[in-house]
Amino acid sequence: MIDWSDEQQMLREAVRQFIEKEIVPIHDDLEHGDLPPYDVLRKLFATFGMDVMAREGFKKRIEFEKAVAEAEANGTEPPAKAERSGGMDPSMTMIPIMELCRYSPGMVTAMGVSMGLTAAAISSRGTIAQKERWVPELLTLEKIGAWAITEPNSGSDAFGSMKATARRDGDEYVLNGSKTFITNGPYADTIVFICKLDEGNPPEERKILSFVLDQGMAGLEQSKPLRKMGMHSSPTGELFLSDVRVGRDRLIGETEDVPSGGRAGAKDTFSMERSGVAAMALGIIERCLELSVQYAKDRVQFGKPIGEFQLIQEKLAIMEVHRLNVQNLVFRYIELSQQGQGLTLAEASAMKLYSARAAMEVALEAVQLHGGNGYMAEFKVEQLARDAKVLQIYAGTDEIQITHIAKDLLRR
Amino acid sequence: MNIVVCVKQIPDPAEPGALDPNTKTLKRDTKLILDESDAYGVEMALQLADAAGGGEVTLVSMAPNNETAGLRTALAMGAAKAILVSDPSLQGSDALTTSKVLAGAIKRVEGADLILTATESSDGYTGTVPEQVAELLGLPSVTFAKSIAVEGSTVKVERQTEAGYDDVECPTPCVVSVTAGVVEPRYPSFKGIMAAKSKPVDELSAADVGVTAGGWAGAGQEIVAVEQAPAREAGEVVEDDGTGAEKIVAFLENLRVI
Repeated sequence: MIDWSDEQQMLREAVRQFIEKEIVPIHDDLEHGDLPPYDVLRKLFATFGMDVMAREGFKKRIEFEKAVAEAEANGTEPPAKAERSGGMDPSMTMIPIMELCRYSPGMVTAMGVSMGLTAAAISSRGTIAQKERWVPELLTLEKIGAWAITEPNSGSDAFGSMKATARRDGDEYVLNGSKTFITNGPYADTIVFICKLDEGNPPEERKILSFVLDQGMAGLEQSKPLRKMGMHSSPTGELFLSDVRVGRDRLIGETEDVPSGGRAGAKDTFSMERSGVAAMALGIIERCLELSVQYAKDRVQFGKPIGEFQLIQEKLAIMEVHRLNVQNLVFRYIELSQQGQGLTLAEASAMKLYSARAAMEVALEAVQLHGGNGYMAEFKVEQLARDAKVLQIYAGTDEIQITHIAKDLLRR
Repeated sequence: MNIVVCVKQIPDPAEPGALDPNTKTLKRDTKLILDESDAYGVEMALQLADAAGGGEVTLVSMAPNNETAGLRTALAMGAAKAILVSDPSLQGSDALTTSKVLAGAIKRVEGADLILTATESSDGYTGTVPEQVAELLGLPSVTFAKSIAVEGSTVKVERQTEAGYDDVECPTPCVVSVTAGVVEPRYPSFKGIMAAKSKPVDELSAADVGVTAGGWAGAGQEIVAVEQAPAREAGEVVEDDGTGAEKIVAFLENLRVI
């Protein structure tokens, strides 16, 4: 893949028009007010038929899974998976991600956590009944999801330091703990709560279990949105659980014996999340570069446009190098996926590390190029710079990505 | 109900356009897009077909270089198929030749109940093609529709006028030109965009639609010269001596704005 195809360009153009008409007019309320992004995201989904496609795709997958389960129960030959011409086309999700990130990367975070992380956590390990109960409405954004792993004292060392617990109590479990920095936490309808099974054994030996919670359950408290540096269009909050009682029907997979102690499910999710960050970075970089080139042509100092000064030209050139590199990473990911191949976790980490750093550098240079105007909200680059910073922190910090990449290299 | 929509593919107005110094016409060698004024006709046709409980929307277009990019946009919105007439001999065609080509293409669509067009294209602005097409097809035509409803074999149109609108009824089949704003054009859905690639586009030559003397040869017009638009003149400054409001009203009345 060396460029966007005609279909991808048409898709991009259509999404861009929607954003200019529906999101730009409320942009200040999303970024400088407290307007939650969910209604306009639902409108985006309905407008482009993404909700219908998600529901149809889910129905097909679940029917296949049911047929396999039935065959296994009857001891007959399970049906073959339907032939596909190649793999999936991730550009259908990456293009909206990029386009949204030109204005409000936070909206992508809110959307991605709901229909990506939360739905995927249930889809990958849940029973058929659990998937039917929670996944379709998450994929269509009718329900908003949150994926709760981080705790006040457990960030990069997510599993090692995890304090949240589940205790068996008859046929039920009792959940306790607190989670923080939870995207969609304040408004989530459906929450995947990750915790350790407390059997009185040492914490490091405890199994990792995931439960699905619904808003309003007794003992579950969702905080108001936290104030933060950027990503204001993505509400972030805390969750407090005190003796929340749940049945086995809410334990993902309805079994305590999940492969690699429950860690594998979360790692699959990390890989997907990291690839999405590259598309986010590309959207931010493209917008910052566009605004910077225009400003370099328009802004006159010392009697000429500042674009004629070589120090400004250097900034633009470096931004373009980053744009090309990140775009190539995104193209590679799209083409690999279309061929039915995926990235290894280390490759996804490398892609995320480079893209996040590139987005941060480009956005800060865009602020610098805009001078005093760049520091003002009106010129938009300051918001993108604040937003870009989190790409180096969430979905695994830069430092965590580096260790993943290095460990993978040294293992070979 | 089967509906034909005439659509034009034009150079992107967002890009700086350029004139060909030899032909004194707009250069059309770049990727062309669906004329926005035609998106209203496409949307209207899709809504009328839905309201009628079925039927097909067929696009008809004339464009250079077998261009289909604009047609794909309309197909992605939901049109079923397209006929494209593309022939080097048609370069330089005037409005009447264009109408002959479109009418020839429309004749190939079986069972068309209604033909929709925009009132005028966004690049040529002659505004004469819809009526010429109707005349060539021997069909009645209604212009400047701000709303359309079909009841049986009658089309009911609210026809935009300077003072308001006229209620007009017309038997089908007929040609109706729609104003911008008659409906809100939909965005193509992702599924529609993917499906558009495989929808049929019938590519024809001028001879296929019975036009033998097209292009410059058949044009009843000649572009003699192209001039830069005159620079905007300075406005009139009126001192407010207490009668400023009346002067503003008089000025606007003179422009017939109010």
